[in-house]
Amino acid sequence: MIIEEYISSGIIESYVLGLADAQEVAELEQLKSTHPEIQAAIDSFEASLETVALSNAIAPAADTKEKLFLALQDEFTNTTSTEKTVATDAQEAKVVPMQLKPIPAKSAKMFQYVAAASIILFVVSAGLNVYFFSKYKSAAEQVVALLNQKNALYTDNQTMQAKYLELNSSLQLMSDTNIIKVAMKGIPGKEGNLATVFWDNKTKDVYLLPNKLPKAPEGKQYQLWALVNGNQ
Amino acid sequence: MRLNLIYQYSLEAVKKYSETELVLLLKQRDQTAYSYLYDNYSGALLSVIYNIVSEVELANDVLQEVFIKIWRQIESYDDAKGRLFTWMLNISRNASIDTVRSKGYQNSQQNQELTDAKHEAAGSTQMAVDQIGLRKVVHQLRDEYRMIVELAYFQGYTQDEISKMLNIPLGTVKTRLRNALIQLRTVIKE
Repeated sequence: MIIEEYISSGIIESYVLGLADAQEVAELEQLKSTHPEIQAAIDSFEASLETVALSNAIAPAADTKEKLFLALQDEFTNTTSTEKTVATDAQEAKVVPMQLKPIPAKSAKMFQYVAAASIILFVVSAGLNVYFFSKYKSAAEQVVALLNQKNALYTDNQTMQAKYLELNSSLQLMSDTNIIKVAMKGIPGKEGNLATVFWDNKTKDVYLLPNKLPKAPEGKQYQLWALVNGNQ
Repeated sequence: MRLNLIYQYSLEAVKKYSETELVLLLKQRDQTAYSYLYDNYSGALLSVIYNIVSEVELANDVLQEVFIKIWRQIESYDDAKGRLFTWMLNISRNASIDTVRSKGYQNSQQNQELTDAKHEAAGSTQMAVDQIGLRKVVHQLRDEYRMIVELAYFQGYTQDEISKMLNIPLGTVKTRLRNALIQLRTVIKE
């Protein structure tokens, strides 16, 4: 293959513009390594492409750059490298510090905002802590009070229930048809006293209800005496 | 703050970098070098984008997207494989083709055709596009060449796809594309 013919076949342009297919690219890259004139042709076409594009430049919208830099704001980092690699003469060395200024100023301002925001957050959260703690304290006190009240009610309820059961059993006793009720009035001189005897004539059980009896003196108790079939 | 920024820009216009310096600084994430890159190449790249995306506003959006890609992918640029500008041009072309192929763009184009006024506006934009950059050059090509370049360069189809679309042999597509590019080169060099 005559290399001049190959170069002028349009393959260079096709390759540079990314229009060549894989096979063409492989072929060109292989030939390139042995024929420096191919590389030269590529360089030349790339240069003329750039020249044409530059001479056809269209001014972008005024705000495109601003929008772009805003979008990349967080990705710009060290501009210090400018100082090392580019500041070769005095004129440029003068320029660099001025350009450096806006960046730290920006980040310092950013830091101020962040610091201010965190202080505000801290104060707010401290305030909330106090508020919630007092709420918590009063709630805890209320819980204790309610618990006490609940216990008291429970005890009362138990007592009432016991009383109710007692009364109920008394009532059943009184309403039983086998029971004979004997009201025993006080002897003359003690007319105010009253005791009632309940006698179950089936089971032969006897119950005594001390309706109105004075309290038995210390160490003594009431006894029920009866005459059964004429015997004491 | 704003004054500083303007001052910074005006300084950059004065400054000049060699391509090697520029690439080195960009890889070091240097904002000043990036700003310089934008000031010097945004117009050229916009003309490349505008050749494909024929709406000014949208083309500017693509330009912004392209510059973000340049910034984020600069590490992958290898100067052994070609000039920085060629690399940026291919990013621009691919981003533009992606935009044109997207559903949103297709729909907006269809909507435009619905109203006469819009259609006229689109027509006049189209004419303007034909008068700049590669489009202008391609416009001067023979019909059969123009079609191939249109599909390959501006619409991003592979030679194989074009062969199937136009129902012509792959060899013919290759020959026509190459011939078209030879003509392009001569026009460009004039």
